[in-house]
Amino acid sequence: MTCERVRAQLTGYLDGELDGDAGTVVRGHLRTCEACRATASDEAVLRDGLRSLPPVAPPNSLWAGVQARLAAEEVAESKRPAWRRALARWQRFVPAPRVAITGALVAAAAVAVVYWETRPVEEVAREQIAWYRQVVVPPQQFAPEAPLLKNQPAPSSCATVADASIDVSEALALDGQRAEAAYDCAIQDLLTEAANVRGDWSATQRSAFDDKVKAMREVIAKADGKPKQRATRAMVTYLQGAVTRDQVLLAGVP
Amino acid sequence: MERLYHQYKRRVFGMAHRIVGASDAEEVAQEVFVRVFRGLASFRGDSALSTWIYRLTVNASLTHLTKRGRRKEVGDDGLTELPAPPVAERDSALAARIEAALDQLPAGYRAILVLHDVEGLSHEECSAILECRVGTCKSQLHKARAKMRDLLGAGIAERFAKGTSNDL
Repeated sequence: MTCERVRAQLTGYLDGELDGDAGTVVRGHLRTCEACRATASDEAVLRDGLRSLPPVAPPNSLWAGVQARLAAEEVAESKRPAWRRALARWQRFVPAPRVAITGALVAAAAVAVVYWETRPVEEVAREQIAWYRQVVVPPQQFAPEAPLLKNQPAPSSCATVADASIDVSEALALDGQRAEAAYDCAIQDLLTEAANVRGDWSATQRSAFDDKVKAMREVIAKADGKPKQRATRAMVTYLQGAVTRDQVLLAGVP
Repeated sequence: MERLYHQYKRRVFGMAHRIVGASDAEEVAQEVFVRVFRGLASFRGDSALSTWIYRLTVNASLTHLTKRGRRKEVGDDGLTELPAPPVAERDSALAARIEAALDQLPAGYRAILVLHDVEGLSHEECSAILECRVGTCKSQLHKARAKMRDLLGAGIAERFAKGTSNDL
């Protein structure tokens, strides 16, 4: 055992806290190492010296001082308004302000995360379709207000969705199939938009875009139900990003 | 209330005395007893009463030091060796030199040395008072003693011991 390791255990050894084997090893080392033995002797004398320090007697005035402070606090307390005394009593049972604030923030963050993760598919869809309308499909292409009937058949093509797109948001909240069709349409339009602007991309960007789109299509094709909806939404989000970034660049915005 | 005071006054004052120094010990001890008497009704008994009182003492002492800023925490580089006393005074001088070295220690090290070595509390009690793990407590004690050895200089045993320690 090295001197360094023995010295790290000296306090425990001198206080009798090392078990038999570890104690024997340290004791054996101390018999052969003069430097460690000197250190151990110093520490033993120091420890004994600390243990035998004379007790310090409190001054006689201590108790009088405590009583005086208690009395002063009682007087001050009696002069406070009743509502503050009640508040002080109540505060004893609530956590410290820092703890309470931290707890409230953590709880708020947890609620926000849970809400964000579990918010209705329709709400997410509404937001994405609204963006799609605003950015990709010019507003004039939409027909004037003409709400779809609740049980109207799902649109089967982009043209159908576009014709009725003024109330797609409402339809999305009612019908999953409509949402799927609207997403398919959005993806098609976004891909068309991307094809229009990809000429300005670098070869690397084009290649990365194609690979990503291919991978996302495969995921969507294999998935079903909610995973499919999530994958579709992810693809719309990705395409939105690609098209928007490009538009921003083209508009010369830094 | 007075009985409780008399039961704990020596230890509370002794701890405060050695952590904050003689001049402020009474003020800190008063503060501790005021807190004890005011908080006694809401003491939930999560720990022993003595542990709770000693925790109040250590916390009040450390808070007092922080507020006062009297002591500059001494790092490794700032440790100064105390001069060795003449041989004839060795027995009476050891306690004084240890007190002087204690005074130069960082407050955290001073607290663990006072609790464990001076007051003779176990590591379990110290960890409950300082609200840390037993392992942390042991490690702090080891470092505190090492720093004390540095402050007192090598050869303490030769200069002060009456004989070879039986612990070795």
